[in-house]
Amino acid sequence: MKVGIPRALLYYKYNPFFETFYSELGCEIIESPETNKVILDYASKYCVDEACLPIKIFHGHVYYLKDKCDMILVPRIMRVNDKEYICPKFCGLPEMIENSIYDLPPITKTPIYANNKEKLLRWANREGGNITKNKIKIKRAFDNALREQEKYTCGVNDEGYKTKVVLAGHPYSVNDSFLNMNVIKKLNNLGIGVITEEFVSKDDINYEVDKLFKRPFWTFTKDTYGSTVYLADNRKVDGIVYVSSFGCGIDSVLIELIKNNVGDFPFLILKVDEHTGEVGFNTRIEAFSDMLLRRKLS
Amino acid sequence: MKVTFPHFGNTFFAAKAAFDGLGIDYAVPPLCNKEALEIGSYYSPEEMCLPFKIMIGNYIQGIKEGADTVLTTGSCGPCRFGEYCELQMDILKKLGYDVDFIVFDAPKAIGKEEFLRRVSLISNASSKSNNEQIEAALNGLKVINLIDDIEKIAHIKCGYEINKGESKKILNSCKREIYSINNPEEVVKRLHEYKRKIKSVPIDLNKKPITVGIVGEIYTIAEPFSNLYIEDKLMDYGVCIKRKLSPSWWVKNTIMSAINMQSLDIRLASRKYLPLYIGGHGRECVGETVLSKREGCDGVIQIFPLGCMPEIVSKSILPTVSKDLNMPVMTLIVDEMTGETGYMTRIEAFLDLLERRKSNNVLSWS
Ligand code: SF4
Ligand code: SF4
Repeated sequence: MKVGIPRALLYYKYNPFFETFYSELGCEIIESPETNKVILDYASKYCVDEACLPIKIFHGHVYYLKDKCDMILVPRIMRVNDKEYICPKFCGLPEMIENSIYDLPPITKTPIYANNKEKLLRWANREGGNITKNKIKIKRAFDNALREQEKYTCGVNDEGYKTKVVLAGHPYSVNDSFLNMNVIKKLNNLGIGVITEEFVSKDDINYEVDKLFKRPFWTFTKDTYGSTVYLADNRKVDGIVYVSSFGCGIDSVLIELIKNNVGDFPFLILKVDEHTGEVGFNTRIEAFSDMLLRRKLS
Repeated sequence: MKVTFPHFGNTFFAAKAAFDGLGIDYAVPPLCNKEALEIGSYYSPEEMCLPFKIMIGNYIQGIKEGADTVLTTGSCGPCRFGEYCELQMDILKKLGYDVDFIVFDAPKAIGKEEFLRRVSLISNASSKSNNEQIEAALNGLKVINLIDDIEKIAHIKCGYEINKGESKKILNSCKREIYSINNPEEVVKRLHEYKRKIKSVPIDLNKKPITVGIVGEIYTIAEPFSNLYIEDKLMDYGVCIKRKLSPSWWVKNTIMSAINMQSLDIRLASRKYLPLYIGGHGRECVGETVLSKREGCDGVIQIFPLGCMPEIVSKSILPTVSKDLNMPVMTLIVDEMTGETGYMTRIEAFLDLLERRKSNNVLSWS
C-alpha cells in the first residue's frame, strides 16, 4: 500500500510520527516534494478562493499526490493540547479537500486529538485498522512513531550573527521556504541571524502568556505570542519578523496582541499569498535590515 | 454604573427590557450604522472580521452616550470570537476610554465561580430583590423569543400577503413601538398583541412565492446592517425567508449545549458533509442548507464576513451539497467595502434564477 504524505501544514512539526507509523505498518511512503511552482498552480486551481495560502498549498500537495498513491494522509488535527485548538480550517480539512478535488484515493478523516496518548491511539487504531487487522502491529508502530516524534526538533537558532531577529508565524509559514520566499536565507544574506519559537523555554512562554486577560486558545498562537514577546522584552533579539498569510484570521489577532505588548520594538510583518511579488518582498526586508542597523549604531 | 453592549440583531430589545427590570442605567448604542462601521474599521486591525469592527463602533458610540461598562459575551474557540474581548479592551484603552468590561464566557470555560462573580457584577449594581432580578432576566428572554418569532412569521407571510408590504409594515412598527416603552411587562404585552396581529395578516395561499434559506455566519445574518438589509429587500420582493440562526436560537443553543443536546436536527443533517464542529457556525451552515431543502426552500444564500474561517470551510462544501440536493446556493461575502449596487445585482440575478427554475420546473441544475 502506498501512502501519500503531503509536505504541507503541520507536516513540518509532526511528520516523524506519521511517517514512522505508516512505514512500520509496511506501507510505502510517497512524500510530495517541497512546495514549488507546479504545486502552487494546483493550489490556486483546486481550492476554494477564500482560503489562506497554507491551506491552498496543502490542496496543491494533495492534488500532486492523488494519482501516485493508494491513500492520502489528510490529518484532521483537532488539538494537540488540552482545551486548545489549532484553527477551524484544520478541523474541516478533509471536507475541504474532498469537495475541492475529485477522483481522490481514500483520505484519512479520523479526527486527531493529540492532547493525550489514549486518544491518539484511538486514531492509530482506526486508521491503522484500514491497513492491517493486527492490533499488536499497530500498537508497536504507534509506540515507535511517538518515540521518533519525541526525538525530533525543528526550528532555527543561528549563531554568529551580530544582528538577530525572531522569525514568528505558524510552523508552516516559518518552515516552508517556498511559501515564505526563502526569508531565512534572505535575512542571513543580509547578516541577520534567526531564532524561532522552538528555542524559547515553555516556562518563559507561559510567563508571558499568563499576563494576558485571557489565555489564547490556539496552541500555536500561544507559543508564538509568548516566545516573541519574551525575546523582544528581554532584548534577546533586535527585531521581529512575522510571516503571515493574507486572510489568516488567527494572525489578525496574534499580530495585534504582539503589537500591543512590545511597544515600538522593530516589527516587520511580511504578508504572503499566491500573488506576492518577490521584488517588493525583498525591498521590505532590506529596508528593515537597514533600520535595524541604524538602531544599532545610534 | 452605566452599561452598554454591542448590537446583535434584535438582542437590544431584550437587553433593554432586562436592564429596565433590573433598574440599571444603560446606553443603547445607536442602531448599527455607517458611522459605527467607519469608527470601528478605523480603529480595528485591518484583517479583523466585520463583527469585531462594528462592535467597536457600537462601544464607542455607547461610551459617548455616557456608558462606563461594556457587557459582551465570549467563547472559547476555535474561532476568533473568543479573542475579541482582549483586543477590544486594548483598543478602547489605547483610545483613552476608561471602561470596565464584563465578559460572559461559558461557565465551562472560565469556571463556575468566575462566571458567578461576573454575574454578580451586574446583580450588585441592581437595587432590586433577587426575585425581581430573576423576573427581569426572564422578561428579557421572553422579549427576545417573541420578537424573533414575530420576525420569523413576517418573513413567511410576506410571500403570501394579499396587501403587499403589510407584514413588513407590522414588523417595523412593532420594533419602533416597543423600543419606546420602558416597562418590560408592557413590552411583553405589546409583543403578544403584535404576534396576534402578524398572524392574522390576510394571505392568499394560491401564491407560489420563492422561498430562500439564509445561512452562514450568525452575526452577519442576524444583524441586518451587516448584510445590507438583505431580508428587508427580499421581503419587498415578496420572497419568503427561512433563517434558523437568531439571537433566541443562540440562547437556546448555548443552554442546550451544556448537556450536549443542542440543535440535533442540524447535527443530523450535516453529518454526511461535515460531521464535526469546526468553530463559529460552520457546521450549522451546512446542516441548515440540507434542512432548507427539506423545508421547501428553492435556494439558499450563504452570507459571511470576509476572512471568516469556519465559513470558508463550509463554502468549500456547499457546492457539493447544492449539487446533491439540486438546489442553487449563492455565497455573499461582506466587509466594510461591500458596495450596494453589485451586491443587489447578484441577489436579483439569483432570484431570477430561482424564479425561472420554479416556473420551468427544471429538473437538473448545475
Ligand atoms: S491558522 Fe491561519 S494560515 Fe493557518 S490554516 Fe488557519 S487561517 Fe490558514
Ligand atoms: S465565525 Fe467568522 S466572523 Fe465570527 S469570529 Fe469567527 S471568523 Fe470572525
